[in-house]
Amino acid sequence: MIPDFDVIIVGSGPAGVSAAFPLVEAGLKVLMVDGGKRPDIQPPEMDFLSARINDAEQWKWMVGKDFHALKMRDAVSPKLRVPSHAFAFDGFERSNKIEGKDFISVGSLATGGLSNSWGCGVARFSATEIAKFPFSASELELSYRRVSQRMGISGRANDDLSDYFGLDEDAQPAIPMDMLHTHLSQHYLNHRKKLNSQGFRLGRSRVAVLSEDMSGRQACNLSGNCLWGCQRHSLYSAVDDLPELYKYENFTKISGFVVDDLTRCDRYWSVSGQNTLSNERKTITANKVVLAAGTLATTRIVLKALDYRDTVPVLSCPTAAFLLWLPRLLGAPRLPGFGLGQLSFALALYDNITAFGSTFATTGIPLSEFARHVPLRRRYSIDLLRGLLSSCVVGNIFLPGHLTVAGAKLGRDESLVISGKYDDKVMPLMNEAAKKVRKAYWRLGGMLLPGSFTVGRPGGDIHYAGTLPMRESSVVGETSPLGEVKGMDGVYVVDGACLPVLPEKSHTLTIMANADRIGRQLVVLKI
Amino acid sequence: MKIVVTGANGYVGTRLITIGDKHGHVIVVASRQPPIIQENLWIPFDIYKANLIELPSGTDAIVHLAANTLLANNTDKKSEINAAVNLIKAAKEVGAKFIFVSSQTARSDAPTAYGRTKWRIEQEVLSAGGWVVRPGQVYGGELRGLFGTLVSTVRRLPLLPAFIPAPKVQPIHVDDLAEGLLRIAERGDVPPDVYCLAAVAPVSFSILLDTIAKSRLRCWRGFLPVPVLVINALTFILGEKFRTRLGLERLQSLFNLPVMETRPDLNQLGLELRPLRSGMHPSGNDRRRRLLREGQAMLGYILKERPGSAVLRRYIRVIEQLRGGQALDLPKLFLGYPIFLSLLDESSWTNKITSAEYLWRLDAATVLAEATPVGAYRFLGRGHGVLYSLFSMTHAVLCEVCWRISRMLFSPLVRLTLSQEKGIL
Repeated sequence: MIPDFDVIIVGSGPAGVSAAFPLVEAGLKVLMVDGGKRPDIQPPEMDFLSARINDAEQWKWMVGKDFHALKMRDAVSPKLRVPSHAFAFDGFERSNKIEGKDFISVGSLATGGLSNSWGCGVARFSATEIAKFPFSASELELSYRRVSQRMGISGRANDDLSDYFGLDEDAQPAIPMDMLHTHLSQHYLNHRKKLNSQGFRLGRSRVAVLSEDMSGRQACNLSGNCLWGCQRHSLYSAVDDLPELYKYENFTKISGFVVDDLTRCDRYWSVSGQNTLSNERKTITANKVVLAAGTLATTRIVLKALDYRDTVPVLSCPTAAFLLWLPRLLGAPRLPGFGLGQLSFALALYDNITAFGSTFATTGIPLSEFARHVPLRRRYSIDLLRGLLSSCVVGNIFLPGHLTVAGAKLGRDESLVISGKYDDKVMPLMNEAAKKVRKAYWRLGGMLLPGSFTVGRPGGDIHYAGTLPMRESSVVGETSPLGEVKGMDGVYVVDGACLPVLPEKSHTLTIMANADRIGRQLVVLKI
Repeated sequence: MKIVVTGANGYVGTRLITIGDKHGHVIVVASRQPPIIQENLWIPFDIYKANLIELPSGTDAIVHLAANTLLANNTDKKSEINAAVNLIKAAKEVGAKFIFVSSQTARSDAPTAYGRTKWRIEQEVLSAGGWVVRPGQVYGGELRGLFGTLVSTVRRLPLLPAFIPAPKVQPIHVDDLAEGLLRIAERGDVPPDVYCLAAVAPVSFSILLDTIAKSRLRCWRGFLPVPVLVINALTFILGEKFRTRLGLERLQSLFNLPVMETRPDLNQLGLELRPLRSGMHPSGNDRRRRLLREGQAMLGYILKERPGSAVLRRYIRVIEQLRGGQALDLPKLFLGYPIFLSLLDESSWTNKITSAEYLWRLDAATVLAEATPVGAYRFLGRGHGVLYSLFSMTHAVLCEVCWRISRMLFSPLVRLTLSQEKGIL
C-alpha cells in the first residue's frame, strides 16, 4: 500500500506552518489539516478613535451582531469578548472534547490557530533555558533566525532587554511609542542603575508586528485596532504564511477536518477525523504525522492513541494584570497608537525566579472592561475613568510555567480533563512582584493604582506547554529530542506540548523555531 | 378535540379560533359567512334561520357566541332564543358540551332587552345541563365589539365623560376569555354552572377610558364630570323611542351593572388574567414596553442623556435573546429618574439571583452604551487637559460619597420599594 501523503500536519497554527516549510521545500508530499474556522466580522475600516466617533455601526465589531461580548461577559480576557476573535476560539473545547476543571482551557479550530488572536510577544529562550532541552542550543539557532525573518519582528533597540529577547539581529526598528511610554522610558534612563540593582530591567517590547512593509503585509500605521483586527496584517498570524505554502504543488490543505484518531496501519499512520461541516468521517494515510494542533488538542490525540490513562503535567504561566497611572500626564489627549506591548520589563524575584511583563496603551480597550472593576457606582466609575485612563497604561506580568501545578488526564469518555492550581509559591511571588513593580514604576513617574494588581486564574495565560516533553531518553508519555512520541514511531509533536520548560517569557517563537528544527531534521532523515 | 364555534367571525370568535388552533383542537366554524381563516371547516349557521342545525359527528363541544347586540323587536328576541334551543338539541344529539357565552347584564329584570334575552337563554342552557359564561367588559386585540366602539370614541373625543358616581366595570382581555372558554371545553372537572369571568376587582369606567387613551392610543384625554342623575332624568323624560336611539338604555345598563364575584370561578378554571394596563397594549401585553422603559433608565443612567432609539432596541434584543425577555420591573422612581439607580447595589435586593441579574444588565447597558458614537464621547473623553480631568475626577468621587451616604440613609426604604415590585424581581 502506498500512503496518501509523506507527511500529514495536524494544525495550521504557528507550529504547523513552521514545520511545513522545510518539509515542503524539500519536495515532500505534505497535507495540512485544520478546523478551518475563518473570521466572519470585518475589522474597523478607520483608525480606532475615528471609528468610535463616526461609526454608528461600531457595535457590530465591538459587541457583535449576536452580542458576543455580552455572552462572554465572564471570560477571563477582554480578547475573548472581541467579536472579531470569536471564530478563533469557537467550538474548540466541544469539538476536541477538552474540559477545564478550575482551569481555563482555550484553544483554536481556526486556520492559523491561536495566532489569530495573540499578543504578538516574541523572545528567544536563554541559554540556561535551552540547556533543559535534550539538544544543543546551536540546533535552534538557525531555526530561530529562519522563523524570525519569515514572520517579521519589530522592536530592535539597544536597550536593557536586548539580551533577554535576543532578537535584535533579525528585528525591524521599533514601532513609535505613545506619550506615556515615552515618558516612562525617559525616566528609566535617569534611574537605570538604581532600578537594575533592584532587579528591574526595562526595554522595548519585541513583537511580531511590522514596522516596515514585508511580503505583502503593511507596516503598522498606529490605527489602534490591534485588539479589533488589523486590516493591514501588520500583526503576524500563521494565516499569512499559507499563501507562500500554497505555491508548492506538493502542499495540500484540507480545512474543517478535526482529527480525533491516529491508528497504525501496516507501516503507515492513518489519521481519521470528522469534517466539521458535513459531519462526514474521513481517513487519510501518511508515512509520518506531525502534530501541531495546539498543546491541549495534541495531548488528547496522543494520549488517546496510546490509551494512556495517567495524568501528564501541564505547564502554564501564572499571570497578573495591573493599572499604572502617570499623574504628570493627567488630561493627556487620546491619540491613536499601537495597541500591543510597547515596553516590557524583566523583574528578578526571590528563588532566582524572573517575572516578565509588558505595558499597553488603554485607548484601544473598551472602558467598560475597567469600569466593572472600579468600586464606584457605575455612572461615577465612568466619570472617573474617562478623566483618568488617558494617563494610564495597563500592564501584565507572567511567572514561569512550572509554578502552575496542573495535569491533563484522559477520561473514560475519551475527553481530556485539565485541572490544576497555582503552586503555593505563587502568591508570595506575586506579592513580591506587586511590591517591586510599584516601587520601580514609582521611580519612573507611575503609580500602581491601589487594588488594580489582580492575579489571574490558572490557565488564563493560554500559554500551555510541556505535556509531552522532549527528553534525551523518553519514556511513555514523553517525546524524543525530535518530538517523536514514545511508543508511536513516526508521530512527531511540534507544538507547545513538547517543550520541556516554559519560562515566563513569550514562548510562541520558540515553539515555531522548534517546529522548524524538527521539520528540517525530518528532511535530513529522508523519510 | 372537535369544537364548534358559532359567531366565529366575531370579536371573541376570531380569537377563540386562533387560540383553539394553538391548543391543537379542530375548530369547526358555524357562521353566516365562510370563515376568515380558511383552513377551518365551515357549516352555515344563522340565528334568524332557525332551522335545525346538524353538528358534525364527533363534536366534543360547542361554544355559542353568535348574538345580536341590538335586538330591534320581539321577533329578534324569539328567534335568538329559538336558535339557542335548537343548538342545545343538536348538541345533545351528538353528546357535545354546550357552552353559552352570556353577558354580565343577564338578569330577568335587566334594563335592556339584550340582558333579558341572555337571561332567558341561560335558563334553557342550565336546564339542559350546559355551561354559561358571563364575561365582564371584554377588551384588547382587534378594535371590534363594544371595545372597538369605546376606542374609537376615545380617539374622537378630546374630552371624555366622567360619570359621577363612577360606574364600575370588570374587564377581561379577549384572549383570556378565549382561554377560559377553551378550559371549560377541555376539562372534565368543571361542573355545569354559571361562570363569571372578569377582573376580580372592578375598576371605574373612567379608568378604563383613561387606560384606553394612555396604553392603547398613547394620547392624553381630559375628563368632564357628568352626574348620573342627569342621565337618569333624561332617560325618564324622553320616551322609550328616544332612549333606544340615543343608546341611553345601554348607559343605564352600565350604571346598573351588578358586581360579579369572579374569584371562585377564575380559581376553578385556574385562569390568571393579565393586568388591564398590559392587556390594553396593542400587542396584548406590555412586556416590550416595560423593557423599553428599563432600557431607557439603564442606558440613560450610563450615558447621562436620553439614549438613542437604535441602542435602546439593542438593549431590548439583548434581554430578549440572552436573558429571557422579562423586564426587571424597577420601581417608577428609578424609571423616571435614572440617576436614582445610584441608590442600588448588590445589597439592595433580597435575593442574590435578582441582584446578579441587575448587575448583568447594568454591565450590558454599559457595553452597549459605550459602543455608540455618543458613548465614544461619554466614555473616551478627548483629553480636556489637567484641570478638567482633575475636576471631573473629583466630582465623580464627591458624587460617589454623597450617594453612599444617601444609600445608607435610604437603604430600608429602597429595600421596601424593591420588595414590593412584582415581575422577576
